[in-house]
Amino acid sequence: MRLEPSETERELALAVRAWAEGLGGRIARGEREGTLPLDVVRELGTLGVLGMTIPERDGGLGLSTVAFALVLEELAAAWPSLAVGVSVNSGIVAGSIVRDGTDQQRAKWLPRLVDGSGLGAFALTEPSAGSDAASLKAIAMRDGDGWRLNGRKQFITSARYAPFFIVFARVSPPEPARPHAGVTAFIVPAETMGLTIGETESKMGLRASDTSGIMLEDAWVGPGAVLGDVGKGFALALAGLDGGRIGIAAQSIGIARAALERAIAYGRARSQFGRSILEFEGIRLAIAQARAEIDAARLLAHRASRLRDLGEPFTREASMAKLYASEMTQRVTYSALQLFGGYGYMSEYDIERYARDARATPLYEGTSEIQRMVIARSLVTAA
Amino acid sequence: MRFLVCLKQVPDSTVKVKVGAGGKAVATEGITWSMSPYDEYAVELALERKDADPTTVVSVVTVGSARGRDALRQALAMGCDDATLVNAPEDLPALDVAKALAAVAKEMKPDIVLCGKQASDDDQGLVGPAVAEFLGWPHVGMLTKAVSSGDAWELWREVEGGHEVWKAKPPVVGLVHKSDKEPRYPSLPGIMKAKKKEIPEKDLASLGVTASSPKIEVVAMELPPQRGGGKIFKLDGDAKAVAEQVANLLHTESKVL
Repeated sequence: MRLEPSETERELALAVRAWAEGLGGRIARGEREGTLPLDVVRELGTLGVLGMTIPERDGGLGLSTVAFALVLEELAAAWPSLAVGVSVNSGIVAGSIVRDGTDQQRAKWLPRLVDGSGLGAFALTEPSAGSDAASLKAIAMRDGDGWRLNGRKQFITSARYAPFFIVFARVSPPEPARPHAGVTAFIVPAETMGLTIGETESKMGLRASDTSGIMLEDAWVGPGAVLGDVGKGFALALAGLDGGRIGIAAQSIGIARAALERAIAYGRARSQFGRSILEFEGIRLAIAQARAEIDAARLLAHRASRLRDLGEPFTREASMAKLYASEMTQRVTYSALQLFGGYGYMSEYDIERYARDARATPLYEGTSEIQRMVIARSLVTAA
Repeated sequence: MRFLVCLKQVPDSTVKVKVGAGGKAVATEGITWSMSPYDEYAVELALERKDADPTTVVSVVTVGSARGRDALRQALAMGCDDATLVNAPEDLPALDVAKALAAVAKEMKPDIVLCGKQASDDDQGLVGPAVAEFLGWPHVGMLTKAVSSGDAWELWREVEGGHEVWKAKPPVVGLVHKSDKEPRYPSLPGIMKAKKKEIPEKDLASLGVTASSPKIEVVAMELPPQRGGGKIFKLDGDAKAVAEQVANLLHTESKVL
């Protein structure tokens, strides 16, 4: 298996890097105001990033998961808040519709994820069901030829920008041996009566990325809203998260890379005790370690991506990449911040933002503990 | 409507310039190359017309080594329709480059030939006007905008404090200046499409061009001398006292007063 990206994959990533380098002051403004400017999302649509993972027959570019991981790395290196929105939109949401959508659903909803008018959202988590997604409480009842949805969803990325949500709700209660029986995925347009978006959460980092709850109060959707089979939503959610974890690994790598690049650039210009701080061995050891860990994380992410592209199982490898990359980015952003000394703690330098943004990565799309559970389960049950 | 945009591939503006071993040229080993910035504006100007009228065809051409294909691919990825590489030595004199470009223009018969007003490497600004001369077409310099107006074109050129608008009937040559409309980024679909396009090659002989123009020889090239570091003085006191000390230093230290 070839882990190195192809020339084309690199070229696509470099094109996105060139675009992202032009974001300039929009990043600081977006973080300060807590919003992703919609013109930035529109530009991503024009650039073709949002549709890059969608097959050509569905109007996308049909590019590889490796290319997508590289592009997410570039977006995260510039603006982690933007990268997570794109990862959810083009990774999990688009991926779920491509995999499980009918022809009509693909034709209707995929263009909405591609045109840059918003970013799709994946509504799985509930106030009392985070990692334990099988215990979710939202309910879908038959009503006429459609369904009536009730429940609350929490921590939904891009809720405020979403043209539609993939909402997970139960059509029947859990069964003792099958706790996720009855879980079904629904495509719920944002303008559905009975769907309201709660207040935006105030977060430690990723402040420009919207994270909000949604309330479903007798929200009615038609018969065409069921994504995949009735009662098979849990498997659909897990499949979506597998791809999403590669996205978060890529985001973690981009954050770490940007932090290290900034630290080295700062070190070049900073002298103490009469010499450049980059001449001190303690600093050199830290940047060498950081670079080795970034590359290791990238190779893990690309292995999971290639397996996915080859149609091979990749659940464990995606979890390994996500686990390692998200924990790596904690270490790297903190040691990069340390290199800045007191300046690292000041908002004037981007480094504190990267360190705050990095902290989300071992939490969302499955905590590190969940990733270890997934990896261990695959090892124990394989025997 | 057909545009022909002439490009040059140059060392990227982020390259830290070093003098090569012979002391006569910039060292080019391992550097990044890109399309000359004014040429990018020329491509953008043509593509804007294509946005407004999709029947517009935008062709690009470069004269030089095979490396120039990258600049052509970039133009295709931005949305240009076709690209031509004229194989020629890197040190082909500017007038011969212009002859080759004029010969391509004669074959393609575009309505408008656009060039960046100058290339960012040698900054001679010679090729564009020479192409117009060899073609016998009028040329308008410092273009920032082109608007179709009946059977003619309104060509906006930047002048001190404003714009002049000229009218020209095609065919015409325009030399493009930097404008407010930043060149677009190549899109991912654009890059994928560009990869599938053939870039035909021509050579000087097939265009009927013989390299015969006078050649400029660079005698020597060196980096400007390093500037001495500044001095920082810590001055105390109120504004008047500080001003007095500054005036004193301008007299005794920098000797400008």
